[in-house]
Amino acid sequence: MSPGEVLVSFSHATVGYGAKAVVSDATFELHAGEIVGLVGPNAAGKSTLLRALTGGADVLGGDVMLAGTPLAALGSQERARLVGVVPQTPTATFAFTARAFVEMGRNPHLGRLQDLSAEDRAVAADVMELTDTARLADETIDKLSGGDLQRLTVAQALAQQPRVLLLDEATAHLDLNHSLQVLDLVRRLADSGMAVLGVFHDLDLAARFSDRIAIVAEGRVIEPVSPEKALDADVISRVFDVRAVVRPDPVTGAVSVTPIVRGADVARPSRGPVGVVCGSGTGAPLLRRLAVAGVRATCGALSEGDVDFAVGGALGADIVTLPPFGEIDETAEARVREAFAASAMCVVCGTPFGRANVGNLRAAVRSCTRLVLVGEMTAERDFSGGPATALWDEAIAAGAVRVSTDGEALEALLGMLDDEEKRDG
Amino acid sequence: MPLSAGSRARITLVSLAGALTLAVVAGVVFGAVRIPVEDVFGALWRALGGNGGGVGDAVIVDLRLPRVLLAALVGASLATAGVLYQALFRNALADPYILGVSSGAGLGATIALVAGGTSLLGRVVGVPLGAFVGALLTITLVVRLASRAGRLEATSLLLAGVAVSYTLAAVTSFIMVFARESMQAVVFWMMGGLTGASWPYVGMLSVMLAVGITAPLLLSRQLDLMLLGDERAGQLGLDVERFKLLALACASLMVAGAVSVSGLIGFVGLMTPHMVRLILGPNHRVLLPASALAGALVMVLSDLVARIVLAPVEIPVGIVTALAGGPFFVWLLVRKVRAR
Repeated sequence: MSPGEVLVSFSHATVGYGAKAVVSDATFELHAGEIVGLVGPNAAGKSTLLRALTGGADVLGGDVMLAGTPLAALGSQERARLVGVVPQTPTATFAFTARAFVEMGRNPHLGRLQDLSAEDRAVAADVMELTDTARLADETIDKLSGGDLQRLTVAQALAQQPRVLLLDEATAHLDLNHSLQVLDLVRRLADSGMAVLGVFHDLDLAARFSDRIAIVAEGRVIEPVSPEKALDADVISRVFDVRAVVRPDPVTGAVSVTPIVRGADVARPSRGPVGVVCGSGTGAPLLRRLAVAGVRATCGALSEGDVDFAVGGALGADIVTLPPFGEIDETAEARVREAFAASAMCVVCGTPFGRANVGNLRAAVRSCTRLVLVGEMTAERDFSGGPATALWDEAIAAGAVRVSTDGEALEALLGMLDDEEKRDG
Repeated sequence: MPLSAGSRARITLVSLAGALTLAVVAGVVFGAVRIPVEDVFGALWRALGGNGGGVGDAVIVDLRLPRVLLAALVGASLATAGVLYQALFRNALADPYILGVSSGAGLGATIALVAGGTSLLGRVVGVPLGAFVGALLTITLVVRLASRAGRLEATSLLLAGVAVSYTLAAVTSFIMVFARESMQAVVFWMMGGLTGASWPYVGMLSVMLAVGITAPLLLSRQLDLMLLGDERAGQLGLDVERFKLLALACASLMVAGAVSVSGLIGFVGLMTPHMVRLILGPNHRVLLPASALAGALVMVLSDLVARIVLAPVEIPVGIVTALAGGPFFVWLLVRKVRAR
């Protein structure tokens, strides 16, 4: 897709209120036909950037252009013909009908003393159809739900027939169905040439509907890039102070961000390491709790693409990396044994074992003196054709501690660490 | 909805106009002395024909009629100004009296009266001019005081209005103490309600009301936009600052006119728009004329009550409107608090 005409451009722009700068040195462009998402922590200046385009915030330095014209050279009506806004929390304290409310969006196209023409009313009726609000036309807006009002506000903004649409968390008040409806509509509008700049709090929604994402943090804007590049786990950790797993959503294919734990809650690892035999997400909850407790973890061998690989990676655990769907061969198992031998104790999570990963279990049972076993080794867990169950029984015979939940496992591990430290003096 | 919004508006406007006509006739008929209806029309007929009648005609044409018309004009001015303030500040509790604009106009008028003397020209041009300047300066001050970083809190607006109102009333009293020779004129005017009514005042106030209401009527669509809030109105292409200035000037002009002839009359500008809005909704194209008519009606009836309850003694009409409006204000406030 070739980029369309530049409709919005910030060039070394500083925006804020009065003398107070909120975002400095912002430089980016918004083209016809694309959706650019703005994400970032609260109070980073995302809404201020949008406001600067509608006169709600001041441009204190640099240049902001709308469709090739400096913002300051545009009158309020001209500006409103170019830019429509769907604000965060629309309020309706007065009893206008929904139709009258949407028709207010025609204001930028009307002379000061001019009244709505049949054409204006037709535009309003059209956008009410598009937003699925036509049936509300005769209701008074002070009686409507937040979701209905939000969609009417979308209709009002579309009635302006703008070339640029600004969304300030436009779907925050909408249920799943209507949120998809509005964003799909926005996608279609962008495909037909509208430029959309949207503030998103939901990173997954941002990734799914944006062509490019710009991160706004600490008064700066990072040049918008593709969602895959923008929503990098390291960037998220730095900007939001949240350890997250970033991987493509299996259904939408868009990048999906799963926050695991606040950075502030992850203690600098001061104890351990503890070996964690896991895989397929069976270790994720325990890995998270160990990280919070300040215990370093070493995960054995996991394949790229495994959930525990991603979680362990995000939390800084040591992992012997296997290729996707890779088996633990002798070399890998030797490295795992080495890692587990260096840890004071190992825990075996409720992981199912097959030929590919039984090596982790073997390494733990053979090289680790103190073991904690979670759950039972049942037929549903043993796909290895016997070896896993044999190793499990061997561990029990050697005096492994048995627990049934992650919580109990954590308690047992922390108790062992305490003993260890006491003994070491 | 059994009636379309359009026909509901038409019916309301026609009923209000009819009721106002009846009230005006009643206002001329009743008073310290009751005048038969046929005499009223006879006197009007003779006056229009240019033949001066007797003393009876003079009571009707030079005393009662201007007084009733003035009451109507004062009521219409205050109610229209109330509509404007309520729209600009999105606050159902805003009105010229509560925002302190009436007090400001009163101070301006007092200064003009003390400085400019009490000639007819002074009373018809100087006093309203002083009142207009006073009203404009006051609303500017009140909005300044109530704004925090560009945001206008509803509660602080009312608080600032009340505080400024008291202060300006005190300054007015202070001036009266010093300017002893004009004190009588000032006191007479401040308390006077509508007793000093005469045709020059009717003419003056008609002009001020006509000028003040025209722009808002023409720009009723923009007033509707203001109800969505300053920021949203701006996003929809309204030049909010300029529009506010214009609308505040219009409101101040009408308040100045009303205060110049009748002193401080409260609550008409609060009650009437609110009641009309309950019936007709917030659409300013009908809300403005309907409120003007309703304000006129309320004022003519209040003046009638003021003249006949203790006849031949007359009570100031401001007392009547305050007695009705004070409880109404409390009701609004309580309802608003409960709605939270």
